[in-house]
Amino acid sequence: MKLTIKSWTGVATWRWIANDENCGICRMSFESTCPECSLPGDDCPLVWGVCSHCFHMHCIVKWLNLQTMNKQCPMCRQSWKFNIH
Amino acid sequence: MLKIFKSKKDKLPKSEIITCEPQVTKEPRTKCGKPLVLDNTRWERRLHKELMSLIKEPPPGVTVDTDSIGQNLSEWKINIAGFEGTLYEGENFQLLFKFNNKYPFDSPEVTFIGNNIPVHPHVYSNGHICLSILTEDWSPALSVQSVCLSIASMLSSCREKKRPPDNTLYVKTCNKNPKKTKWWYHDDSV
Repeated sequence: MKLTIKSWTGVATWRWIANDENCGICRMSFESTCPECSLPGDDCPLVWGVCSHCFHMHCIVKWLNLQTMNKQCPMCRQSWKFNIH
Repeated sequence: MLKIFKSKKDKLPKSEIITCEPQVTKEPRTKCGKPLVLDNTRWERRLHKELMSLIKEPPPGVTVDTDSIGQNLSEWKINIAGFEGTLYEGENFQLLFKFNNKYPFDSPEVTFIGNNIPVHPHVYSNGHICLSILTEDWSPALSVQSVCLSIASMLSSCREKKRPPDNTLYVKTCNKNPKKTKWWYHDDSV
């Protein structure tokens, strides 16, 4: 039997590889957006701290901007440093 | 810190300083005249989630008074029972949680209310609680549930029922909002 494929459509899914399912700040799933975005993925990325905790970038930046003195990780209270892979 | 944003087409991080004053600018409206959804109402989803999980799986001794919760979720009453084997066994207390539109970036205002205010060295007779996570040690990773647990554990570890030494002066002179008090956290033993 001989088959001829006339056309095909590729489908792919994606997810973040994070050590948790939800953002500890907004409690939304990492696969969805922070409360202020509507498009998940590159438009609402995740960022990691050197402490290994991970948040929506918009959530953690908002929190850090509100901290006048020590900018700490909301989870472990170590001073926050972005982990640049 | 800015370096990592550079790769994303130099997009600026979407963040703003939340100002303390309520925004009195004209309400933004869409073309068809409906008010736009403001950021704060979007952040209410977290409060809603917290409420649902607290009703479904409350920690021991904690119950939400669902009748007390208004449409906008800005005030909750939570009942908390003194644990067995502690000085508060058999007693019931009520906490009032008030959330402003900066929650979870700003802590909730939490006070004991009703006619049974626990007699405890960190609880003033007007219901104000001296607990650092309610002001300077607040973190958005904390929640209503974790605040309730901290308060329950604060009560449980108490060895002698007494009011704070400065109770009389404090309740006479304090602001109605305990978050306006400049607390001095010096006693970690209770």
